[in-house]
Amino acid sequence: MSPSNKLRFLVLVTAAVAGAWLSFRMHAPVAQPGTATVLAAPEVLPEFSLLDQHGQPVGREVFYGHWSLLFFGFTNCPDICPTTLQVLAAAKRELAGQGFKTVPQIVLISVDPERDTPDIIGRYINHFGDDNLGITGNLEELRKLTDGLGIYFAKSPVAANTGNYSVDHSAVVLVINPRGQFQALFSTPHTIENFTDDLPIIMAGN
Amino acid sequence: MRTKLLLLTACLLAACSSRGDAPLLATDVIVTRSLPGMQMSAGYLRLTNNTQATITINRVTSPDFGSVEMHESSLENGIARMRALQDFSIPPGQTVRFERGGKHLMLTRPGEDIDTVTLDFFADDTLLLSITVEPERVVE
Repeated sequence: MSPSNKLRFLVLVTAAVAGAWLSFRMHAPVAQPGTATVLAAPEVLPEFSLLDQHGQPVGREVFYGHWSLLFFGFTNCPDICPTTLQVLAAAKRELAGQGFKTVPQIVLISVDPERDTPDIIGRYINHFGDDNLGITGNLEELRKLTDGLGIYFAKSPVAANTGNYSVDHSAVVLVINPRGQFQALFSTPHTIENFTDDLPIIMAGN
Repeated sequence: MRTKLLLLTACLLAACSSRGDAPLLATDVIVTRSLPGMQMSAGYLRLTNNTQATITINRVTSPDFGSVEMHESSLENGIARMRALQDFSIPPGQTVRFERGGKHLMLTRPGEDIDTVTLDFFADDTLLLSITVEPERVVE
């Protein structure tokens, strides 16, 4: 084979390989989350004004510029809330350990602002990681956010005549994208694998 | 009835331990360490009734906490709820599980510098079982 034919042959082979690769990429199935529900059209968060763990006012802008895992709970919840936060913290650690540069911030918004002061929610949420965010504040402002997101919560007596109360609340974990939009949600039961499997897909698809 | 209860009590207290042949056997006992600044821990365990009679427990106390309540969490339609349990029964040969997302102990007002936690399980005023464990950190 002459040098010019050899070159022509190499160009043809390269083009064929590139074409095949391009065709594969174009027709390859897009990965879908296994358990999370992704909204067809992300929703802008309602406006609200609450307080972070330092007592500083925060609104929906606090979600801008990074991914967030948003959970509504309360610090006097001995079982489901710490268990959920433990799962989120472990999932974050695992994603970071796998080399993901983008890991979401864990955000706990209290549904028990009567007992959860900024200081209390701050000490609580800091236990589950360094860069977590705790939010509490005025009940009316909290309602603006929860009503807009379809999050339920209600005070409920634990036992008759004790004066002690619990707060029934939605246990979903919401995924908020860096534009401050509600993009996806994880329903219960929460497992580390559900988050480590689906979060990279959700965040890559944004 | 009183004789039966006394016999059962004597039998249980004679073997209140984690031995496999104990009449009331506690296994997989976990008491979470209170988070910094918080006044609360949770307790999880399995209780197996190795006797021929149903055992009903209606009170749990701890000298290491101001209060111990028996609770049950549930998840219905995505809503987390928690309610107090007045008592619970363990049929003969059966195991009742206190686990995350279900029945659990809520321990409040911890004492200072707790190294171990003792839990005492009662049927009315009768102590049926006493166990002592080291509390665990929630996040390692």
